[in-house]
Amino acid sequence: MSDINHIIQKVKIENRDALLEHEAKEVLKAIGIHIPPSILANNEQEAVDAADSFGYPVVMKLMSPDVLHKTDAKAVIIDLNSSEAVRHTFQDFMNRFQGVNVAGVLVEKMVEKGIELIIGTNTDDDFGPVILFGVGGVLVEAIKDVVFMMCPTTKEQATDAINEIKAKVILEGFRGLPAVNKDELADLIVKISSLAWEYREDILEMDINPIIANSSGLHPVDARIILK
Amino acid sequence: MTARLEKYFNAKSFCVVGASTTPNKPGNVVAYNFVNYFPGKTYLVNPRGGELFDKKLYKSVLEIDDQIDAACIIVPAKYAPLTLEQCGQKGIKNVIITTGGFSEAGEEGLALQKQMLDIMDKYQINVIGPNCLGLYSPALGYDTMFLPASKLKRPKNGPVSIFTQSGAFGAAFIDQLSRLGSGKWVSKFVSYGNASDINETDALEYVGGDPDTKMVLIYLEDFKDGRRFMEKAREISLTKPIMGIKANRTETGAKAGASHTAALSSDDAIVDDLLSDAGVIRVITWDQLEDCVLVFGTQPLPLGDRVAIVTDGGGAGVMASDMVSDCNLKLAEFSVDVQTKLDEIFPSFYSTGNPIDITGSATAEDYRIALEAAYNDPNVDSVVNICVPVIPDLDINEYIAITKEIAKRKEKPFVTSLVGGEEADFATAELLKEDIPVFTSPGRAVKALGMLTDYTKYLKKRGVDPRSILAEE
Repeated sequence: MSDINHIIQKVKIENRDALLEHEAKEVLKAIGIHIPPSILANNEQEAVDAADSFGYPVVMKLMSPDVLHKTDAKAVIIDLNSSEAVRHTFQDFMNRFQGVNVAGVLVEKMVEKGIELIIGTNTDDDFGPVILFGVGGVLVEAIKDVVFMMCPTTKEQATDAINEIKAKVILEGFRGLPAVNKDELADLIVKISSLAWEYREDILEMDINPIIANSSGLHPVDARIILK
Repeated sequence: MTARLEKYFNAKSFCVVGASTTPNKPGNVVAYNFVNYFPGKTYLVNPRGGELFDKKLYKSVLEIDDQIDAACIIVPAKYAPLTLEQCGQKGIKNVIITTGGFSEAGEEGLALQKQMLDIMDKYQINVIGPNCLGLYSPALGYDTMFLPASKLKRPKNGPVSIFTQSGAFGAAFIDQLSRLGSGKWVSKFVSYGNASDINETDALEYVGGDPDTKMVLIYLEDFKDGRRFMEKAREISLTKPIMGIKANRTETGAKAGASHTAALSSDDAIVDDLLSDAGVIRVITWDQLEDCVLVFGTQPLPLGDRVAIVTDGGGAGVMASDMVSDCNLKLAEFSVDVQTKLDEIFPSFYSTGNPIDITGSATAEDYRIALEAAYNDPNVDSVVNICVPVIPDLDINEYIAITKEIAKRKEKPFVTSLVGGEEADFATAELLKEDIPVFTSPGRAVKALGMLTDYTKYLKKRGVDPRSILAEE
């Protein structure tokens, strides 16, 4: 937990209200959530070394407090299959994002395709910290297939929520997709809801989106934490 | 811990402050109610003094020698702070302020309400209101509803407790219940208005613990104590059904924020999911609320979701079947014995599947056979009795008698819908007189069953046997 306080304090001291993705993922790691292997590279060689150590393909993301909507800014490049591609992407980022404040480039082992889910939290005027679970990905706001719960949530409530989304059939092995481990998913919801509850004085909103569910388990590949 | 409302309902002495000598004025009506129905001691206060209903009008609460357990203040808003101050000096701890003109009425009213909050704080007074109807309990002879009984009819004692933010909703619904069936519906009614002190969650806490309350019905527009409300509701819904309207459903609250979660967080999306998790049966329309009272107030809970439909009209049966699937119910498959019996007894042009369609040739005796077969079948959890009474061989009085007979068994939910004109209206009225749930359309009847079954499903999910929650006789 002291890791979490440390990260939050650092962000506050820097006068930011949003954690960068790698910071948000550190917070998730601190509460025992499994995150795809990643390294924050400060130069081209570090990026290549990281990619080589994970094995390909990898994803590279620019970490900058000035670029929070990374996809819109083309600051996320996926499916990089060689050290040349990693070098090229690093240079490309440095060229395109001159003049912005760059904390580094996150090199992350790419997760195999699967079903995209979301777990997020928000602070409601009436109910305090609430958590949502649902169908994730970039279309989440259009599809709106989510269920809200009050934080902290029990595993029983989380399990109910999982079974309540309209598209729940896709969690049960739909058209050849692997079935999602609902037990593990419920645990994940409970952990994140406890985080939102315990840090309710600091955390305003969270998005863990997407969480990719594939045959090897649940993989939070992007995370955003906004402070109060 | 004692719920705060208990002190109001347990009062042994009550004071009406602002008792008016002008007939039908609010202060006159409340004084009349307490003088005539309240079994404890009633004191009336009017600064002009004199007498009302053969009782002395005290010029101020401070003139009364006795201890006062609770009081209702019915004076114009501008005099309310002074009156409340006097109640405080007198040591009255439980006050209802029905008068409007406070936080709901602009800045001046808001200032008055603030002034009153300070007085409440100073003397530790509990307050219901302002801007409300206050409390009603026919069994306790407790009635601060300031509308005359000639206009607002009062329902008699029964299983339902109601609490409402809107006084106008409360008045309309109370009036409506007075003419529903026997009119025996209401245990406690709480209209808390501006909720300057006692709010929806205090009301829920009280009715949840009240042994005379068998079901809880709510009308809310917003929450004053939302978190605790949901926690209480989740507890209480395991022992008695909670149902109602949370109005104000238009999409507000969601903002195009930094996160997807914030963008998805419309107030209603959150409320809807939290109510459902807390086991609160949410209805949308006013009709559904009355239907809730009718089924939850009279029927046992179904043990499962398998429905049997008996009908003399094909169209009505098909529409009912559609609603069965809309409400996540299932059409029951009859057991072999029942199916064989139906096939043997009925002519081949009757449809003996589910729905059982006894066609335009149906007699009342056919209804008896079909309804009893369906009702007795262990594969059936609830029964829908549909009748289009225009057919030539159906004796409506016999049909009514058969329906009453089965309805009285109360072993499983049994709902009826009569569709048509004069004869349908007649039968509906006859059955409703005995609080037998009858609905104006097959869809409404099935929807009512759907709400009952949703509650059964919720209880089962939480590990509670639906048989532990009994229908009232």
